[in-house]
Parts: sequence; structure tokens; C-alpha cells
Amino acid sequence: MDWVFLTELAINGALTGLLYSLFAIGLVLIYKASSVPNLAQGGLTMVGAYVVLALARDVGLPLWAAIPLAAVLMFGLGFGIERVALRRLAGRPVVMILMLTLGLDIFLRGTTLAIWGGTSRSMELGVSYEPLFLGDIFISRIHLVGAGVAIGLFVAFMLIFRSRTGIKLRAIADDYMASWSVGISVERGVGLSWALASVVAVAAGVIWGEIQGVDQALSLLLLKGLAVAVLGGLDSILGAVVAGIILGVVENVGADFLDPLVGGGSRELIVAAVLILTVMIRPHGLFGHHDIERV
Amino acid sequence: MQQKVEIQPILSMNSVEVLYDNVMLAIKGVSIQVPKGKMIALLGSNGAGKSTTLKAISGLLKAERGRVSRGEIKFEDTDITEMLAQKRVEMGICHVIEGRRVFEHLTPDENLTAAAPAGMSRSDLNGEKEKIYNYFPRLAERRNSLSGYLSGGEQQMLAIGRALVTQPSLLMLDEPSLGLAPFLVAEIFGILQKINQEQGMSVLLVEQNALAALEIVSEGYLIENGRVVMNASAEALKSNSDIQEFYLGGGEGTNFHNVKHYSRRKRWLS
Amino acid sequence: MFYRLSGVHHANYVSDSRIFKVPADRNLAVFVLLFGLAAPFIVPSLYLNSYMLPWLIWTAAALGLNLVTGWAGQLHLGYAAVMAVGAYSAIHAARFGVPWEFALIIGGLASSVIGSLFAFAALRVKGLYLALTTLAMQFVMDWVLTHSPTITGGSHASLQSPTLALLGQEITSDAGYYYVAFGWCVLVTIFMLNLKRTGLGRALVAVREKDFAAAILGVNSFYYKILAFATSSFIAGVSGALLVATFFFLAAPEQFSVNVSIQVLAMVIVGGLSSIIGSYFGVALILLVPGLVNGIVAGGSLSLGMQINVETLAHIPNAVYGALIVIILLIEPLGLGKLYGNIRDYLMVWPFDQLRK
Repeated sequence: MDWVFLTELAINGALTGLLYSLFAIGLVLIYKASSVPNLAQGGLTMVGAYVVLALARDVGLPLWAAIPLAAVLMFGLGFGIERVALRRLAGRPVVMILMLTLGLDIFLRGTTLAIWGGTSRSMELGVSYEPLFLGDIFISRIHLVGAGVAIGLFVAFMLIFRSRTGIKLRAIADDYMASWSVGISVERGVGLSWALASVVAVAAGVIWGEIQGVDQALSLLLLKGLAVAVLGGLDSILGAVVAGIILGVVENVGADFLDPLVGGGSRELIVAAVLILTVMIRPHGLFGHHDIERV
Repeated sequence: MQQKVEIQPILSMNSVEVLYDNVMLAIKGVSIQVPKGKMIALLGSNGAGKSTTLKAISGLLKAERGRVSRGEIKFEDTDITEMLAQKRVEMGICHVIEGRRVFEHLTPDENLTAAAPAGMSRSDLNGEKEKIYNYFPRLAERRNSLSGYLSGGEQQMLAIGRALVTQPSLLMLDEPSLGLAPFLVAEIFGILQKINQEQGMSVLLVEQNALAALEIVSEGYLIENGRVVMNASAEALKSNSDIQEFYLGGGEGTNFHNVKHYSRRKRWLS
Repeated sequence: MFYRLSGVHHANYVSDSRIFKVPADRNLAVFVLLFGLAAPFIVPSLYLNSYMLPWLIWTAAALGLNLVTGWAGQLHLGYAAVMAVGAYSAIHAARFGVPWEFALIIGGLASSVIGSLFAFAALRVKGLYLALTTLAMQFVMDWVLTHSPTITGGSHASLQSPTLALLGQEITSDAGYYYVAFGWCVLVTIFMLNLKRTGLGRALVAVREKDFAAAILGVNSFYYKILAFATSSFIAGVSGALLVATFFFLAAPEQFSVNVSIQVLAMVIVGGLSSIIGSYFGVALILLVPGLVNGIVAGGSLSLGMQINVETLAHIPNAVYGALIVIILLIEPLGLGKLYGNIRDYLMVWPFDQLRK
């Protein structure tokens, strides 16, 4: 057993996992603020990455200006999604809302590709590909940057959910009717959560676009994001971060053991297995809330 | 039996009709006046339209796909019939909805924070919280535990406290006594009366527990099948033989041999 | 107007449990059935085989999913995986020399067995969590298919389906394929129409509305959930096998990928949960309209002399497909079946519609 190699696998796994968290945070944000499952986060991430590229390449802005501007635009898009689509389905059964977000996901993906085409583009953030050596362990710089962004967003959202606005968002997730009755604008709250998730999608789109290129494959991260979100507990931001690290390590180390046995490509399998096992054993995840039932 | 109220009404509802889903007529021309600073009770049996009346006033009808199809609702001389629920809360109408729906995953303290109006400063909010904890000392003890695990009475107190944070001038309560032990009902009603007297807050109380409600209010309306069938002072209502028979559990109607007589009388009443 | 009824009023239980509660519905069904039988003689074979045939088979499949999602209320995002099991088992059986009749049944049964595994997830969780679990199971199944050359047929991952033969008759003509699809769809439809009237159908609805309340009433929700999954999986398996045997002719894993699962669910929900006629509409909309819009856009841009990027054109159907789901859900969350019902109810009393203001 090569311990150095294993440590390297674990550390890089943890960093990749934090990038999954980046994705999962978008899911958790919306679930925490409106108890709506957001299966459109994959599509949103794709849109986010393409908008950044469009601003940088087609308009010619420098990246440091394009990314915040894209974040602002996506913030508006998030509000728009609530206004046009979710508001009218508020309070409907989860099947319909699930389908709505799936439809949104398909629509966003299709529209993005229809506008910008399906060929993979590169983000070119300018992060060096020179690996970083930590003793004998080498670490990818862009993963490190992404992990930093994930943790930064985590801290920011933890602070937001402690604030008065954040408490109102959590109240909305608990009970729409009671929120209306004390004058909380449920519509604005849900819109805000979608807007924030769309901003997170820009961050995820930029980092993942840098790693694997900006194309349709960005939306396939949804399964990993879902697995992380469920493992951490769908309404826990802390859970999304911790579960991201766990999933990343399990996936990276597990794939190293399993790949030779099954002939490669066992990552997807591990992620799916984690998702199934979590739901079967502990549906509310590591840090999620039990639904409180009193008779 | 109608006595003219001299005090200017804070809320007046004129022959309001409510349609659910565009087909179900839930209340059929209800007119109610709440005088400023008074406590008014809305009595009636299940499905009579009491909760719908409150929802029409607070604007929560929209969430249940209902709408006011006729009549108008005025609050402090402003027509609020079509106003957003949120705006009405800002104007000072707060509705404590049925079934003690507190935010279960939040602590009582956070429940109160969640209801704070947008412009309220932190120190004002803290002052408001202290005031509420003074009214409901039981809540203060459990201010940092999860609201979902509070007892029924504590949850009802929290729901009322949460409404008080919005600084209402008209507080509407939908069956606060539901499923609570009699001593708790008495405690909560006592506190309501205290708030009414100390702050001059008008209260509109929907109750099935007419006996308890008539003890604290000054005037009551009786609603049956979506219509107001009686409006009188609490004293007059308490001594009315029909009310005694049907709502207070007294009178001669308790004899179940007279069940036919019972239903005939009831039909006449509506 | 066309219905000439002033409403649906039942005076006894027999009339209440009729399949078609309005005579006009029955007439319409008979008319559609006759049209379906005569279609090969009326409809050009291009349309018959590239539009009507897939429409019928997908409708059968969607009805199967409707059984488990619409009637029993269990979200299922792994339906395509179940179809894949049926398709591959049936084709392997047929290649092995088993007559097609039995091969189809083997496919259905194999699907039932695997599909019941999904039911075990449904016993543990419901709603969103069930959707996520079945989604993950779909991914596992995709993975198994793409990583087992013995199932999917070697390095090209495509498996040739042997010529379909039923009742000793080889089927090779377009009309023949069509009639097989038509027969299967009619069979499933009749089964679903009758399901409503049986104890099973009522038990499923009880489980959907509140499973523990159903349990209190003596409905064994454990048993009925598994039964619902097994039955719907059987329909899925046979539909999957027929889809390959009469339409694709080659089985490939991407025909049953996660996107297909989402597509079938979209068909069911856009059509309307637990609405049979809705499933017909939903499949037609999801299957046919995106292509149609693409044709219109392509034709329109040609006639206007505009040059539309090939890639743009290739992705428009997807955007339209997503938009359709969103728009239908926003217009009528209960789907096209409900819209049809609304129109029917309106016409039933027209022009004497005094009830509406």
C-alpha cells in the first residue's frame, strides 16, 4: 500500500469534492428557502459558464469584469425564473414542481446550445497548470482555487442564513401560508433563493468550465451535485460542504480500487451508490433536519 | 337588538362574497364592523365561513385560489379589497391562522425575527421581543429550542407573539383555543385581553368555544351558512336562548329526544 | 353540443362504473379505433412508421408509467432502465431461438423482477427522495449496460434484433409493424381503462392519497406498491422490446438513457397524471411537436432567405421540448387530459352554460 499515493488521492478527491459542493450549494439554497427540488441547477451552471464566455469573448470584456457582470445577469435570470414559472406552481404537488425544474433544465440547455453551439470551448482563466507540490503530493491549482471559492461561498451563505433575511427564507421553506400571514413576501424570498443559486451557478460554471471545458457535459454534474446535497442533508449548507469532501474522497479512492476490477469508469457507479445508500439508510442526510411530526 | 356603535370602526366589511376556484360560494354577503380598540368575536359552527371571512380580510384567500367577488373591505378608510396580503400586514392587519402554524424548524426567537417588519431596527426588535416574552413567560424559557417541539399551548402563544411583532392595529385570531386544555385557553384569552387593554389593539376573534370567547369580547357576530345571522353585545348573546341552546350547550335543547325540534329551530335561524 | 348532455349524472352504480361515462366518449373511442385499424390504407407509410408507430408504442409505455406515478403516486425516474431490461432480455431470448411471443413475455417478466427492485426504494421513501433514488438506479443501470458487452452486443454496443414473428408469421411489412404496435397499445389501454373499475385500481389510488391511511383501511400498501411497480414494469418491458423490434431494429444503451426516463415522465405529466387519454396527447406533444417546430423554423428560414446555423437548428427541438413541458405545466398543471376534460365539460352544456358568468 502506497500511503503517499493514497494521501494524494484523498486530498485531490477532497478538493474535487469541494467543487461538487459548489454545485450542491445551489441545490441546497433553493431547497432550504422554498423546499423545492431544483433539478435545473445543471442547466443554470451551463448558462452561467456560457454567459461568462459570451461576455469575455464576444463582447470582449476582461474576465475580471465578465464574471461579476455575468453574476449580475444570472441574478436577474433567477428572479425571472421564479416570476415566470415557479410562482404559478407554488403549493402544487412535488411531482409537478420536479417536472417543471426538469423542463427548465432541458429548456436552458437546449437554448444555450442553440445560441452558442455545442462545440466545447475553453474558459482560460489564466490559472497555471503547473502542479503544486506539497512534499511528495501534487495538487492541481485550479482545484485549489475552486475549493477556495466553494468555502468562501459557504461562509457567505452561512452568514446570510443567520441574518434576518436568511431567517425569513427559512421561514418560507417551513410554511408558505404562515409566512404570508405575517407579511413575509414568499414570492420575493423564493425569487431571491433562485437568484442566489444562479450566482452560485456562475461560480460553478467558471471553475468547472476551466477544468473540463464549457460544453453540454457541465449539466451532467447534476447527479454528483444531487448525491452531495442528499448526503449532506438537502437543507444544510454545512452538509453540502462536508458531504462534498466525503464524496470526493470516497469517489477518488474508491475508483482507484474499483477501476481495475470493472475495467474503468466506476466513478458514476460510486456516486449513484452513495445516493441510493443515503436515501435508504438516512434520508435526511448527515446534517439535514428530520421532519418534525407531532400527533 | 342592534346597538349602534359610536366608536369609529377600524375595519368594516360590506356585503362581501367570496368565491373559491370560481365556483364555490363560501360566504354570501357578510358585513362586519370592528370598532377601534374593541374585541369582537365571530361565532359559528364548522364550515360556516368564519375562517373565510378572516382570510378575506387578511388577503390570504389568494393562496387558496379564492377571491372576493362582491362587496368591499375597508381598513381605516382605505379600500383593501384587492390589496396584497403583505401590504395589509404593513398597514397593521395580522392574521393568526388556524392550527398554530409556527415555523417548526426555527426557534421561537427566530420565529419572532422572521415576522419583523422590513424597517424595524435591531434594538426595536429586541424591545418588541422582550415585551412579548413578558406577556408569555413560558416562551422566554424555551426561546432557543426548536419550535416544532413546543407544546400545543406554547405554539399558540408563539403564533400570537409572532403576529404581535408585525405591530398590528387589528389582530385576527382563528380558533386559538383549538385542541388546548381549558386552563390554557383561559390563560391565552387572559393575555389577549391584557394586550387589548394595554395597547388598545383591536381584536377579531374567531371561535367555536363561544363560552370562553363571549367572556372577553364586547360584541359578537354569529355566522351560519356564509351569512351573518345575529349581531349583538356579548351580554345579549349570552342570554339569547338560541345561542345558549346551539353554542353554549345550555338550554332545553340538550335533550336528544327533541332532535327534530333542534334542526327545525336551526333552519329558522339561518 | 356534440355531447348533448346536461352533465354526467349517475342513477346507479352500474352506470357510475362504466368505462365511458359519456356516450360521445364511447363514439369517439370507436371512431379512433376504426381509424387506427384503417390507418395503413389511409396514411402514407412514411408517416405511419415514423410517427404513428412510435407514438403508439410510447403511449403504451407512458400508460405503464402512469400506472405507477399517476395511480399509485410513486415518482419514477428510472423507467427507461426498466424498458431496457425488457428490450435486452426479449432480444436475447429471440436470438437464442425462443419464439417471439414468449420472448416478449420473458422480457416483460424480467422487467417486472428488476422493476420490483425499484419498489423497494418506494417502500422506504416517497416523493422527492424516491425520485432521486430511482434516478440513481437509472444511472446504475446505464452503467451496467455500457460496461457489459455481453448484454449490449460487443464493442459497437449495438444488438441486432431478429426479425419479429408472431403466431408463426414473419412480420416485415410496414403495415405489419404498425399493427403489432397498434395491438399492444390497444391492449394496454383496455387494461388501464378497466383498472379504474377494479379493486386494484381503487387500492392504488388509496395508497397514492395517503399510504398510512390506506393501511388503516386494510389496504396492504406494501403489497400494492410492489404490484404497481411489477405491473408497470411488465408493460415497460414489452414496450421496450417492441420498440426495438419494430422501430429501432438495433438496441443500443442510449435508447434507454436517463434522458429517456425524463422524457417518459414528461409525457405522463404533460398528458396528465392518471389520465389515459392524456397520455395519448402527452406522447404526441413531446414526441412530435419539437420535430415539427424544427421543420417550421428550417422551412421558414429558407423561405425568408435567412441562414440558420446548422448547430442552432440541431438544438432547437431540445429547447422547444423543455419549453413545452414548462408551458403546459403553467397553463394546466393537471395536463392535457384535464384540458380535454374542461373542453368536454364546457361543450356538454353549451350553449346553456348558465353556470359560468
